Amino acid sequence: MRKLAVHSLMVAAIALAATIVRDSPAADLVVPHDPSALDATMLVSNACSKCHGPTGISASPLFPILAAQQVAYIQTELKLFRERGRSDPRARAFMWGIARGLSDDQIDGVAQYFSSQPPATGAVSSNPALAEKGKSIFENGVPAREIPGCTICHGPNAEGIAAFPRLAGQHRDYLAIQLQQFRSQMRESEIMQPIAKNLTDDEIAAVVEYVASK
Amino acid sequence: MTRDHLEFLSWLAGARLLRLGTLAAIVFAGAALALVSTPARAVPSFARQTGLACEACHTIPPELTPFGRRFRLNAYTLTTRPPLVSDIDDHKRNTVWLTDLPGMSILLQATYDHWNRPLPDSLVPGAKSQSDDFQFPQQMSIMYAGAISDHFGAWLQMTYLQNTGSLGIDNNDVRYSDHTANNDWVWGVTLNNNPSFQDVWNTGEAYGIPYFPVQSLYSATQPLGNTGMRAPIFTQFPGLAAGLGAYVWYKDSIYLELSEYHSAKSGSAIANEDSSNLNVGGGTIDNFAPYWRAAYERDWGYNSAMIGTSGMYVKFVPSVFAGQTLSPGNVNRYLDLSVDWQYQYNGQHNIFTFLGHYTHENQENDPGLVPTYFNNSTDHLNQLQVTGEYYYDHRYGGLVSFRRATGTTDVPFNGGSGSPANQFEVFELDYLPWFNTKLLLQYDVYNVVNNNQNPFFLAGSTNPKASDNNTWVVGLWMDF
Repeated sequence: MRKLAVHSLMVAAIALAATIVRDSPAADLVVPHDPSALDATMLVSNACSKCHGPTGISASPLFPILAAQQVAYIQTELKLFRERGRSDPRARAFMWGIARGLSDDQIDGVAQYFSSQPPATGAVSSNPALAEKGKSIFENGVPAREIPGCTICHGPNAEGIAAFPRLAGQHRDYLAIQLQQFRSQMRESEIMQPIAKNLTDDEIAAVVEYVASK
Repeated sequence: MTRDHLEFLSWLAGARLLRLGTLAAIVFAGAALALVSTPARAVPSFARQTGLACEACHTIPPELTPFGRRFRLNAYTLTTRPPLVSDIDDHKRNTVWLTDLPGMSILLQATYDHWNRPLPDSLVPGAKSQSDDFQFPQQMSIMYAGAISDHFGAWLQMTYLQNTGSLGIDNNDVRYSDHTANNDWVWGVTLNNNPSFQDVWNTGEAYGIPYFPVQSLYSATQPLGNTGMRAPIFTQFPGLAAGLGAYVWYKDSIYLELSEYHSAKSGSAIANEDSSNLNVGGGTIDNFAPYWRAAYERDWGYNSAMIGTSGMYVKFVPSVFAGQTLSPGNVNRYLDLSVDWQYQYNGQHNIFTFLGHYTHENQENDPGLVPTYFNNSTDHLNQLQVTGEYYYDHRYGGLVSFRRATGTTDVPFNGGSGSPANQFEVFELDYLPWFNTKLLLQYDVYNVVNNNQNPFFLAGSTNPKASDNNTWVVGLWMDF
């Protein structure tokens, strides 16, 4: 009898847990019943953070680090996702869906949120010689093949400028794949496609080694 | 901190298993709860709801990625579709929230099975002895899977199985969840009908390997399809029990759950998708059976690793001894304790998974049933499963799985030689032309099968061997 009472208590406690937590406001949806009811923090909490991390520092290189990213860049990309104007494979698989119901206000809020987070510290390069070569490409480009340096748009420290994204401290693999996809024209960009098309695999490896370590 | 947690959990799992030697008994009265555990699957309705491609949640369906685990622990509620109907009260709390798109999905499996030896005519009176069957469908499910409201979601599945010719309730899970704004704490409540179905790491029975079990037309009476062989009791209640559980998920790393299961109907099994359960699924959970689960996950780079432990304590009233009169006071006590692990590498092109579990079961037989139905006052069962998988670009790949059970010899209980031992391997090659369509070639190899569960022995075949049951499977799996 005592055991039955214990078990019953456990079941009751479990059931009670549901009613206690029920008091929290409606919030678990990316698209709420009333869009204005959902602020950017909630959106990040309910959706973005599951892949990009609560402060925009993702664990997996499948997902870019967004902490301290430029506001204008996040706005531009989210709108591109929403309009399906960016069609690299990961954009299709993940962001077309996530962004499809976002309002401009929500996009602004999310962009502000991530851009105000402290940046990720770059990974320490395990190949300083490669990073040094990458630094040269980053700063000077490859003049012999008319490849411009990166600093003019992305800033001297790869911190980004307005719609040109921050690259510093980004996942190395993520950066490499973006360059490869610009090169193969899988990811749209009128600026980056012509630049990336002349980059060799070795040059991509070098420049991302440097940028990821910043 | 991280390493400390890991070490603590490892220590805990080890300590519990060591203590088992001194723990008393348990039971298996269900001489043959030959239940067909149906595989879990990817569900397109989730994709419709979220707008995410399958790869967001699955390495290869039904195996979950870290994101898929979070989606499920958040009660399937993430959605990017506006509701068709909604209302809120004065405190901005939802009073109703209905999707514009019901989360319906169809799951379809078709198979051609070919086993090593023609089944004897005597097994199926009137049938010509053959060594194959062709099932379209092997099974078909219709289900609701998706959000019900802002904090509620459900997976409700009905399945038709050709090997029993019946339509019934399959895996069900309704869950509630909420979380703190910073996501450090996610908590939830699950109401489900199959211990381990609620788990998110694919190492248990309900979501585990083989993801595509053979369900031979004869599987109710023989090990074809990996059924009918002795397995821990916590795997024996798909659709036969109802459980209420609560869980917390802390900082995307520590998972704790406590559930209580009760038999759906005292004294007999309910009709699930496998009507053969009605014939063999005798036995009732006495009162409530607690089930617990702890896991630690760490994600870094493309990697995700988990180590965990789970257990279930079941007081079981056996009623499987046809024609026998048992006192309601005859109760066998089972304690299942498991350790399990998973390592996933979910890269840009390559996916590796290594996962498995080890379960030790103590079975204390009611003194009133010894020695008539059990030789021993205490029986043991140990089950080990280890699986490795590799896939490229979510398109090509396969898996190799090994499962072995050993335990105490008990002739009246296990029949035949009295050994509960069984061992088999699954080799599978997969091709996914689309993410929701899997073509597979599978070969199941049986090394050890108790004669009492070997149909070739039971039907009087000459020189019956475990390998008679080896099976080739050509399969198609679609969901839409």
